[in-house]
Amino acid sequence: MSESTHPATLEQRFVPRDRQSFFDAQRRNRRATWRLSVLCLLAVVIMGIPLALIVTPFLYAVSLLVADIVNLFFPLSPAFWQQASEVARFGFVALHWLLNHQPAAPRALAIGAAVMLLPGAVLSILLWLGMNGLFKHAGVGGALLALKAREPNPGDLKELQLNDVIQEMAIAAGLPAPRVMLIDAAGANAAAIGTSPADARIVVSRRLLDDLSRDEMEGALAHLIGSIGNGDLRIAFRVTSIFETCGLLVAVINSPFGSQSRRTLWRIIRYGIGGSRKGDSTQEAAAVAEILARGVGMDTDDIDRMFDTTRKKSILRSIRDFLLFPIFFTNTAIKLSLWFFSGAILGPSVALLWRTRKYLADASAVQLTRNPDGLASALQKLSADANFIPAGNWASHLFIINPSTSDGGSSARPDQRQQEILAQAWAASAQTEDAGSAARTRPADFAATVREFSAVQRAAFSGDAKAIARLDAARQALSALDPALAAQIPNVADLAAARQGDRAAIGRLRGLRQQEAGDRKPQNGPDESGMSSITFLAFHPPVKRRLKRLDRMGAHADLGAADHKLWIVAAVFSLIFAPFFVALVALFLLLIAIMILSSLTFLLIWMAFIHEIFGFFAHH
Amino acid sequence: MRISPELIGIAIAAAILIWIVAGFNALVALRTRVQNAWAEIDVQLKRRHDLIPNLVEAVRGYMQHERSTLEAVAQARTQAMAAARGGIEQRSTAESVLTGALGNLFAVAENYPQLRAVESVMLLQEQLTSTENRIAYARQFYNDEVMKYNTAQSTFPRNLFARPFGFSPAAMFTAADSERANVQVRV
Repeated sequence: MSESTHPATLEQRFVPRDRQSFFDAQRRNRRATWRLSVLCLLAVVIMGIPLALIVTPFLYAVSLLVADIVNLFFPLSPAFWQQASEVARFGFVALHWLLNHQPAAPRALAIGAAVMLLPGAVLSILLWLGMNGLFKHAGVGGALLALKAREPNPGDLKELQLNDVIQEMAIAAGLPAPRVMLIDAAGANAAAIGTSPADARIVVSRRLLDDLSRDEMEGALAHLIGSIGNGDLRIAFRVTSIFETCGLLVAVINSPFGSQSRRTLWRIIRYGIGGSRKGDSTQEAAAVAEILARGVGMDTDDIDRMFDTTRKKSILRSIRDFLLFPIFFTNTAIKLSLWFFSGAILGPSVALLWRTRKYLADASAVQLTRNPDGLASALQKLSADANFIPAGNWASHLFIINPSTSDGGSSARPDQRQQEILAQAWAASAQTEDAGSAARTRPADFAATVREFSAVQRAAFSGDAKAIARLDAARQALSALDPALAAQIPNVADLAAARQGDRAAIGRLRGLRQQEAGDRKPQNGPDESGMSSITFLAFHPPVKRRLKRLDRMGAHADLGAADHKLWIVAAVFSLIFAPFFVALVALFLLLIAIMILSSLTFLLIWMAFIHEIFGFFAHH
Repeated sequence: MRISPELIGIAIAAAILIWIVAGFNALVALRTRVQNAWAEIDVQLKRRHDLIPNLVEAVRGYMQHERSTLEAVAQARTQAMAAARGGIEQRSTAESVLTGALGNLFAVAENYPQLRAVESVMLLQEQLTSTENRIAYARQFYNDEVMKYNTAQSTFPRNLFARPFGFSPAAMFTAADSERANVQVRV
C-alpha cells in the first residue's frame, strides 16, 4: 500500500472508519441515477418545446414551397389545399389562445398544439435515432486513431503488468477483459471508451504506468472496468448523441447560409451512405461527431458572411437576402434557445447525472479491489500530476479524472526567457557529461528538452546513478544562470535521502511538488471543445469530494481541513447575486420568446408572399 | 361484464405461477453465475500449475541453497493437481498449501538481489504474482456470487420452493486453516 504517501498515524490506521459499505454507496448512487435520468428527460422535453416551436413552422414553410412548385406543374386537387388551410387554422387557434388569451375549445387547442409541436419533435427524434445508428457502427477505431493509441508491448514489464491488472480486475468484475491501448502522452490519465461493453477499450497513457504503484493502478483500472460494467458507456453515448443532434439541427438550419455547415452536412450524408465501408470511415465518424458537438456554440460566421454589408450589392444578392431573411430569425432563435437551454438546463442535469456515475464507478472500484486506499491515492496523485491528453478533449468525460488543459510534461509553463535559460542549462549539463549528446539539444527546441528532462528525472527517481549525476549537473549549470529557477528542480541529495526513507527529504520534495501545482493552477482554463464546454458545470466531481466518499468507504486519504469560511462567503455572494441572476434568466427567456415569435411572424408573411406569387403564376 | 369468482381464482393462480417461474428462473441464473465463477477459479488455478515449473527452472540456478523451498513448491503443486479432481473443500486446502509455499519462495527470493536483474525471472514473477491475484479475485467474485445465490435461496418467497426444485446452498471458497496459520507477525 502507499505507506510513503500517506503517513497516517497508527491510531488512524486501525480505528474502524468504515462508515458506509461500498454496496450501500452503489445502491445510493444507482437511485440517484434514476432520479437524475428523470431530470435529464425533463430537461430534454423543456428544451424540445421551443425547438419544436421553431422547427415546425420552418418545416411547414419548406413543405408549402414544395407543394407550390409541384402545383405549378401538376395542379393539386382543391381538397389538398382545403386540408392544408384546415391544419393552419388549428395552429392559429393555439396561437390566439397563447398570445391574446382568446378562449378556445380544449379539443381544438390540443390539435393546435399538436400541429405546432409534433412535426418538429418527430423530426428531432428521427434525427437523434439516425445519429445513434450512424455512430453506433462506426465504433471506436477513429477515436483510437485520433489519440494515437498503440498496442501494449508484452516484453515491457510495466506494460505486461498493466495487461495483468486489467485481466485481474475483469475477473473480479466477472466481465470479459476489455482490450487495452497505450498512449505515449506526457500526461498521466486513463479512459474507458466505446459505445457499449462489447466494444469497450481501455486507453492508458504510458506516464500513468510510470507514476502509479501497482495498488494505485489497480484502483484506477477498477474504476474504469467498474464503469464499463455499470453501463456508463451506453449512457455517455446516448447523451453525446443528444448534443450531436442539436448540432445537426443547427447545421441543417444553417445550410442555406454558409458553406461550412453545408460541408458538414455533406460529410454526414456521404458518411451515412458509404458508412459500411471500412477504412477511414471510422475516422470520418469521429471527425463529424466532433464538429457536431461543437456546433451548439454561438458562432455565426456563416450568417455574418451572408449579411456582410461591406460586400458590394447587386440586385441578385438583394433578392436572395430578402428571400432568406425570415430564415435568419429562425436560425438565430434556434441557436439562442439551444445555447441557453443546453447550457442552463440540460447541461447541468447531464453533468450531475454523470457525476453520480463517477461516484458509482468509484464505489464499484472499491468493491472490485477491496482496497479503497489504492484508488484514493491514485486520484490524489493524478490530480496533482500533469494529466492532459492531447486530442482527448472530446472525450474528457470518459477519463478517470478531468484532463486539465495545462501543458503536460513540464510543470508550470515557463515564459520565453525562462525557456531559453532552462534549455541552455540543460545543454550545458550535457556538455559536462559527454560532448556527443550536447549536439542533440538545441536551445530553440524547448519541447524536446522538456521530454528529455522528464525522462531523466524518472530514471533518477528509480535510482539510475547516471541520471542523478546528469540532474545534478543541470542544477549547477542552472544556478549559475538563474538561482530562482534552480530552486524548482529537486535536489539530488534529497532524492537519494527520500529513497532511503528520510522523512524531511520527502517533505521537502512534496513541498516542491505542491508549489509546482500551485504555479500551474492559473493556467488550467476551461476546455474549449467537447461535451464539457457545453455547460459551466464540470462533468467530473471534484477530487476532494470523491476522496471524501472513498474515505467513508474506508480509505485513509488526508482530506485537509474543510473551508467553512469559503462556504459563508459563497453563500453571501449567491444571496446578493441571486436576484440579478434570476433577472438575467428572465431576460433571456423573454429574448428567446421574442425571437421565436418574430421567426414565426416573418415565416408566416414569407409563406403568404411566396404562396401568392405561385398562385399568380399558377393562374396564368 | 361481471367478474366471476372463477375468473379471480384463475387470475390469482396465474399470478402465483408467474411468480414461481420468475423466482425459479432467477435462481437458475444465479446458479449459472456461480458455476461460471467457479470455472474461472479453475482456469486460474490451472494457469498457476502451468507457470510454476517454468519459474522453478528459471530460479534454480541462482538459488542452489534453497533446494528445500523449491522442492516444497514442486510438491505442493503435485498435490494441488492431484486434488483438482476432488471437492471444493479438498481443493481449497491443497491450493492454500501451494499459495503458502509460493509465498515462501518469493520471500526467500528477496535475499537474491541478482535475481532482480534477470528480466525473464522478473517477467515470470510478474505473471505468477498476477495469477495469485487473479485467483484471489476469482475467489472473491465466486464468494460474492455464492452469497447472492444463497441469500436468494433462503429469503422468503423463494425459500418455499428452492429445496423442492433441487437448489441447495453452494459452498464458499474459504481460506483454509493452514493458510491462516501462516500469518504470524514477528515483532
